[in-house]
Amino acid sequence: MTGNWWTLTRLVIKREIRERTQAKSFWIATVILLIAVAAAAVIPAVLSGHRSTARVGVVGGDTVALTQAALEAGRITETTVNVITVPDVASAKAQLRSGNLDAVLVGGTEVLVKQNAVFGSKGTLAGTLAQVGGFAKVYQALPPAVAASVARSGVGLPIHGLIPPPQGLASRFTGLAVAILIYVIIITFGMRITIGVGEEKSSRVVEVLLTTLRPVQLLTGKVTGMGALAMAQVAALAGCYLALGYALGSPAVQGAAIGVVVAGVVWLLLGYAFYCTAYAAAGSLITRQADAYNATIPLQVPLILGYVLAYTVLFADGVSWFYHLLAFVPFTAPVAMPVLIAVGAAPLWEIALSAAITIASTVVMVRLAATIYERAILRTGGRLKVRQVLASVS
Amino acid sequence: MGSQDGTLELTGLRRTYGEVVALDDLSFTVPPGQVFGFLGPNGAGKTTAMRAIVGVASLDSGTVRWNGEPIGPQARSRIGYMPEERGLYPAMRVFEQLEYLARLHGMGAAAAHAAARHWADRLGVGSRGEDKVEALSLGNQQRVQLAAALVHDPKLLVLDEPFSGLDPVGVDAMSEVLAERAAAGATMLFSSHQLDLVEHLCQSVAIIDHGRLVAHGSVAELGRAGKVRVSVRVAGDAAGRWAEHLGPAAQVESNTDGTVVVTLRDRADAQDVLDTARAAGPVEQFGFVRRRLSEVFRDAVGHAPQDEPKAVAAIGGSS
Repeated sequence: MTGNWWTLTRLVIKREIRERTQAKSFWIATVILLIAVAAAAVIPAVLSGHRSTARVGVVGGDTVALTQAALEAGRITETTVNVITVPDVASAKAQLRSGNLDAVLVGGTEVLVKQNAVFGSKGTLAGTLAQVGGFAKVYQALPPAVAASVARSGVGLPIHGLIPPPQGLASRFTGLAVAILIYVIIITFGMRITIGVGEEKSSRVVEVLLTTLRPVQLLTGKVTGMGALAMAQVAALAGCYLALGYALGSPAVQGAAIGVVVAGVVWLLLGYAFYCTAYAAAGSLITRQADAYNATIPLQVPLILGYVLAYTVLFADGVSWFYHLLAFVPFTAPVAMPVLIAVGAAPLWEIALSAAITIASTVVMVRLAATIYERAILRTGGRLKVRQVLASVS
Repeated sequence: MGSQDGTLELTGLRRTYGEVVALDDLSFTVPPGQVFGFLGPNGAGKTTAMRAIVGVASLDSGTVRWNGEPIGPQARSRIGYMPEERGLYPAMRVFEQLEYLARLHGMGAAAAHAAARHWADRLGVGSRGEDKVEALSLGNQQRVQLAAALVHDPKLLVLDEPFSGLDPVGVDAMSEVLAERAAAGATMLFSSHQLDLVEHLCQSVAIIDHGRLVAHGSVAELGRAGKVRVSVRVAGDAAGRWAEHLGPAAQVESNTDGTVVVTLRDRADAQDVLDTARAAGPVEQFGFVRRRLSEVFRDAVGHAPQDEPKAVAAIGGSS
């Protein structure tokens, strides 16, 4: 019996996967998501890249050598550099603040910028300026042979920003990508489940299927098949994000940001498990496909809430108590908790507690949804209400 | 009764939807190897009973047994069911769909592949096998639906209104397959609300009305039972005036352009009718008239099997 149970359920899973992967819309959605994710991986790398023209100030020391160093840095970073000689450091700083200057090379000691680059200075004009400025200093001070060996071990000048960069922006950026992805994946695959169940019901094919399948087999097969596709899509998207990020040296795939990606995948799994049967139950209540959107509104609102409010957390300082609370409500936790993790606002025990709440409520949700599904899937007539289905004696 | 031979037994089926009684202590048996019609006006409870047989509707009380046992998961894989409102995935290809249903009924991959093609060919939709079901005409969709019910070589066929919506060619193809399956030993129950249209296809029938059994038995027996009737035509008597000389045992039921149908107390009186006719002139036609199934219905219920509003079907079932 158990063996047979899985044999039939596996057939349902395979059918779901085959039907979905044969649909053009699935591949179109996948490509769009891949492009979006690729953009998310590339944007931080681009943001940390160069501008086409820059005004560089030079202060103190050998003005000719400093000017040469600045022009050389511009050549390396393909930036048209205008060199301006500034009388002293104080006026250089004032001009940096006003935006009149983009960077200042202070003879042999440091590079000044308005704000340190969010994603690191490697490859930027300021970074190159620091390197070239460092070379110049070394070659002036030492015999060429010694200078070459010193230069090889790195001679970059320190870069000082006048105002500090925002903390952990890379992981915040990744957190936003993760929040969007969880929201999009759960809602799109959830809607597919609702529409699929509704289609089986309205076409009456479910009557034929249920002569050999038990409702719970059909339900299990459907959410598992869709889940497998969702996870395959997520794996492809996460893989694309990480691969592109590494290839471009994007800080979005380094350190804490990696942890956010991992947390995102785990919470997506939890969120899908929590929501998938509920979407199936919604599908069992409807008789026309047009009703699918209305029937799933109660399931979409919490996700939308968690996603929209994520912006206020990711791009502001501090987390409101309300959003913190959302991370412990099973309906919103799958989006809210990864966001808290991305901004570093969730200690480990909170993450564990939220996961435990989500898993426990998933058990309750699956039972409730399966009951609704079993009772409603063979009921014909108009659209059903949850209360009406639960009140009925099966 | 109550045996391993494939007999389907319905005993005391009862189902109510609120105030509406869909099945009211319905009992009858379906022997294997016969084309068995399950007849009655729309709303009589046929669909509810059939859904209960295949396990997609529950009963308030009563039992369904097949081969002497309640129908469990094992037995269900050997049932072929065709629902009244057809049930196929609209966007799935014909072969794929048939294969899938065959596999759900326990067939291996290779056997399912072969059976899907066999039945699609057999029902004349083999050339459309790679098309999506929704791209087919309604008649062809119905052929696919029948193929779906037959693809796993079921031993019990439950077909809800298989003839509705079919063109004459489709009706012939469907009848042929039904007769062939019955001859192969399958137990078969098909429903129809058009009693006289399917009369000639059935060997036996169960006729129901308002969820109650009205008549049950072989079509031949049901046709013979009841009052004796003869149809007589006398040459040259286009008005059927000879019938005015009939005795009190004979009652004229109808007179259609001189063909007179007479109802008698028993078969012995038929000779008196023949003598009276002969006395009036040469008898062109003389024969016993079998009751049609609609007449069987009318004789039992007191009115013709008019279609009733589909209140029961609209309320539907619950698992």
